[in-house]
Amino acid sequence: MTDPVILKVSRDFDASPEALFDAWLDPAMAGKFLFATPDGEVVKVEIDARVGGRALIVDRRASGDAHHYLQYEVIDRPHRLVFLFRADPAEEGQWTRVSLEIVPSGTGSTLTLTHEMDPQWAAYEDQTRKGWTMILESLARAIAND
Amino acid sequence: MVERLDTIFAALADPTRRAMLASLSGGERSIGELAAPHAMSFAGASKHVKALERAGLVERRKAGRQQLCRLQAEPLREAELWLKQWEKFWTERLDVLDALLKAEKERAE
Repeated sequence: MTDPVILKVSRDFDASPEALFDAWLDPAMAGKFLFATPDGEVVKVEIDARVGGRALIVDRRASGDAHHYLQYEVIDRPHRLVFLFRADPAEEGQWTRVSLEIVPSGTGSTLTLTHEMDPQWAAYEDQTRKGWTMILESLARAIAND
Repeated sequence: MVERLDTIFAALADPTRRAMLASLSGGERSIGELAAPHAMSFAGASKHVKALERAGLVERRKAGRQQLCRLQAEPLREAELWLKQWEKFWTERLDVLDALLKAEKERAE
């Protein structure tokens, strides 16, 4: 019996649940925030926003093109969005699961993001993440040297 | 580092082993003491301890006829750091999303 590694992040937004939800499935919006890195360029955003549909977001970086694959499991506007997620160099079948829960709060909404990772594939994500960390660190250095 | 994290998370993925680590956080325990709350044989408990040892989470020493296990917390910090990096990743994504949504709202008003 093994449990996935679970990461939870919660956040308040000054936006309606609908606007918040739609941003995840709208190619123009998703391309700007989802897997964009500061010195990369998002060169492809394809989103097939149906249950079972897939999405591909490609971020062009100095180190090469980083592919991010998604597959939608639950699309319940504006409350819940669940998708499988994998990024280079994870292979087909090595998915992690991201769930979004959106509830109205005051004049805005609260988003809770849960990222479940099978420990078996933690290593692959770690490599990907290292790439991101390096990019962010180099950016921080560039700013510090200014 | 990558393979090591793999082993750490695999070790942590099991509820029995997490309970053993929780018990060890209170001090050294023999394998028999670790097995007791889980209605488990010595051999069964020993297998779990071996998985924890491989991940560097537990150190074993002989004390007379007993084997005592001790918690090694360093790999836990590595795993935590890895999770923190993901947390940072999503927090940054959500920051950008927040800014985008605010800009959209202002445009609409």
